[in-house]
Amino acid sequence: MIDTFAALAHGMAVAVQPMNLLYALIGVFLGTAVGVLPGIGPALTVALLLPVTYKLDPGGSLIMFAGIYYGGMYGGSTTAILINTPGESASMATALEGNKMAKAGRGGPALATAAIGSFVAGTIATIGLAFLAPWLVDIAVRFGPEDYFALMCVAFVTVSATFGDSPIRGLTSLFIGLTLGLVGIDKLTGQARLAFGVPELLDGVEVTTLAVGLFAVGEALYVASRRHHTEEKLEPVRGSLWMTKEDWKRSWKPWLRGTMFGFPIGALPAGGAEIPTFLSYSTEKRLTKHPEEFGKGAIEGVAGPEAANNASAAGTLVPLLTLGLPTSATAAMMLAGFQQYGLNPGPLLFAERPDLVWGLIASLFIANMMLLVLNLPLVGLWVRLLAIPQPWLYAGILVFATMGTIAAKPSVVELSMLAGFGVLGFLMRRFDFPIAPVVVGLILGPIAESQLRRALAISLGDPMTLLQSPISATLLGIALIALVAPFVLKGLGRFKANED
Amino acid sequence: MFRFPMRLVGAAVALTLAAANPGFAQQLELKLMAPAAPGGGWDQTARSMQQALVAAGVARSVQVTNVPGAGGSVGIAQFVNGAKGDGNQMMVNGFVMVGALAMNKSPVTLEQVTPIARLTEEIQVIVVPANSPIKNAQDLAAAVKADIAKVTFAGGSAGGVDHVMAALFAGAVGADAKKINYIPFSGGGESLAAILGGKVTAGISGLSEYEGQIKSGKLRAIGVTSEKRIAGSDIPTFKEQGIDLVIANWRSVVAPPGITPEQRKTLSDAVEKMVKSDAWKEILKQKGWEDAYLGGDAFADFLKKETARVTDVLKSVGLVKS
Amino acid sequence: MTSGDPVQPQRRVDRAGLVIAALLAVLAVVLVWDARRLQSAAMYGMGPEAMPVVIACGLALLAIGNFIDALRGNLPARESADPVPVVLILVGLALLIAIIGLGGGFILATSALFVTTSAAFGRRAILIDAIIALVMSTLIYLAFDRLLTLSLPAGPLERLL
Repeated sequence: MIDTFAALAHGMAVAVQPMNLLYALIGVFLGTAVGVLPGIGPALTVALLLPVTYKLDPGGSLIMFAGIYYGGMYGGSTTAILINTPGESASMATALEGNKMAKAGRGGPALATAAIGSFVAGTIATIGLAFLAPWLVDIAVRFGPEDYFALMCVAFVTVSATFGDSPIRGLTSLFIGLTLGLVGIDKLTGQARLAFGVPELLDGVEVTTLAVGLFAVGEALYVASRRHHTEEKLEPVRGSLWMTKEDWKRSWKPWLRGTMFGFPIGALPAGGAEIPTFLSYSTEKRLTKHPEEFGKGAIEGVAGPEAANNASAAGTLVPLLTLGLPTSATAAMMLAGFQQYGLNPGPLLFAERPDLVWGLIASLFIANMMLLVLNLPLVGLWVRLLAIPQPWLYAGILVFATMGTIAAKPSVVELSMLAGFGVLGFLMRRFDFPIAPVVVGLILGPIAESQLRRALAISLGDPMTLLQSPISATLLGIALIALVAPFVLKGLGRFKANED
Repeated sequence: MFRFPMRLVGAAVALTLAAANPGFAQQLELKLMAPAAPGGGWDQTARSMQQALVAAGVARSVQVTNVPGAGGSVGIAQFVNGAKGDGNQMMVNGFVMVGALAMNKSPVTLEQVTPIARLTEEIQVIVVPANSPIKNAQDLAAAVKADIAKVTFAGGSAGGVDHVMAALFAGAVGADAKKINYIPFSGGGESLAAILGGKVTAGISGLSEYEGQIKSGKLRAIGVTSEKRIAGSDIPTFKEQGIDLVIANWRSVVAPPGITPEQRKTLSDAVEKMVKSDAWKEILKQKGWEDAYLGGDAFADFLKKETARVTDVLKSVGLVKS
Repeated sequence: MTSGDPVQPQRRVDRAGLVIAALLAVLAVVLVWDARRLQSAAMYGMGPEAMPVVIACGLALLAIGNFIDALRGNLPARESADPVPVVLILVGLALLIAIIGLGGGFILATSALFVTTSAAFGRRAILIDAIIALVMSTLIYLAFDRLLTLSLPAGPLERLL
């Protein structure tokens, strides 16, 4: 423990040299600037900007790299909040409430709580990384396919928080998402499902294409169709540009809870960033003292998922540094980055190159801080984008939204899907079906299916494997309680009411 | 609304990128397709070639285009139809494409392209957890022969090099390849966790992916798929353990159909020159890739044999219907 | 989900709701039809055809649920929608796809989308919007192509740059 502190202190001393601080700032800046482009998630941001860091000495490039990484993550949230265009699946939960806040003139507090929440979560998670990594990873590798399937079950149950007021409509949305998740090559047998002979469909439906189509394009169509009712007037700033005391009070607990979801699940080799963001969103929705604001722009719904997203990113570093396991596309890019500096992540890393590991962890701290230094002053500027006249604003949003797809997959089929999802999003808004469960279904469905089938293949078809693993049995128990509890509580409430 | 961030990225990135392009004035202006999304293995190969071709003074400019989709099936279709007879275009491909084309019943095949050269390869390895009772390839062979269903192999996507290798292993030890219990995972990370956690019997992957774990003693390598032992390594090959299993995950570059012999020679020469350049060697070292240059007709021959072998294996495991 | 759903003022039986229920049922049938084609290549555990069937069952149940809701007229009230702007934006998207599909390039394609969307939101200064769109998309193209070396679709305009 003492050694850890000494090593970290040494790493810090290296990282806070003026030149290194400057590199961190440049890194965060470049990362944010490229990260705001839709369709360019953090992984691609890192990939594109990696060559920039080659020219520096190892210490400097490492710290700039950390900055690019955090900047790229934050950039995705900015577009999610401002123009309802999540740059990657992990910022989808942010878009749900964040964009509503922006439309209500509270984009400033939304961006601020996202930035500060990211900072808080990133800091706590980095501390967790420094002290808990070796211990956490031992637990993480014990998670087998059956345990992941059980974790998905927990996630599915909590998804109902995004359903709105009608369960039938919510489930309909979810099942449309599950259906879309089937499209493409089956991961376990290589057979094509629902591809109808179109080669572009073999890779399945891209989460960002669906999310951008449903959210951004669908929204533009819907607003256009209702223009004759009321000229929707967007005020970029209503009330305070900054977070008020009330905002702080409502944000700090979600930040911490989001971190608690994000870090451990991110540390799981197949945990990912989406599940903790959803879990955080539904938890905040259950716990909030302002349930009436959810769906209209509740700050808790931005603070929690953003913290979870950032904490899970630090979580992915646990298996990466201790096992050399890249568990996400971004982590794989980071692995490539580390190798440039002669760092070979793996079990020997902490023992062989403590200086570089602690340097990296110190860099993450510094980069996280720089993110705050750079982005808080920019909040005011970002929010002004919403002052653009409505025709140009929505035209710009559509250009921006399609650009992401054009850059990632410039095919007629992919663009047609984007337009088709836009129409679907419009119709769903018109007939009052919730949007988010579609994307949730697309993300969780395929994971749940392949983990279940892996578990069953390993057990040679015996479903008892799901209950024999203690982790899986516990998680399934939690899912069952979460599913039944609301009904039981409702019943109890009715019972009590009858007694009175 | 876009101008603001763009201009700033522009200024900063332009500064750094400008330094990377020393001006060489050659006549070759190439277009290089990576039939995959930016960031993946083929994309990295294409972008490394771009760097090396320009740095070695072989080409004046190289433009990389990405056409992702279905293990390269979308890319090759566009390449064969759209670039026919164009002597300034090339496409990166590799082992995975062979299987993907067969499984997706692609109307376009690798027989249609003009082979240029194999560039790199990676040796494959089979590992077991350190506490596994399986100590060597013969133990694993015995386990497979005893009850093939109970021996679970973790590896990459269905029909990829890991899957083909599992089937080849079963075949080489005299078991029924059709019955292998192969569990595909997405990405090396996930399968590695399953192996370390003891969820599966054995894991298959490229050697570099598991090297750290093998060195640290968390995984035991029971064999590599090279012809001869890798210099400086104490991992035995399957061949020296009496199992005929030689396979590598290779990457190569091809040209469109219908180009003239002169055009083919120009491209082959350019690639050969690039492979011999210091810039390319530096990149190989940086990325940890194994040089496996094989040019001309030897590569064409290799490609044909590999295609036949992979298709046979995929048929035997039921992924491709005969 | 076709866009031709009739939009009627409130009545007892919601016709749009019936269409939605029917579409869900059709989707369920498509899933089962597609799953039947699959061969269970999996030697152990569950095959690829199991999940589609499960989801199809769910969709069928939801179709019934939506059908009942529609019969009871249980759908939330809808305000009237103006189809003109929606069609304009869809034309813009169609133009974008067509221009990219036919090799017209990124700049023309996104400019077309920008102008039609802007018009859909009530602007009539098409020429000015077109100029704004061309300048903006050219800048975006240059940024992607030159600085990030990500190739966007190139057409006649892009080749001039």
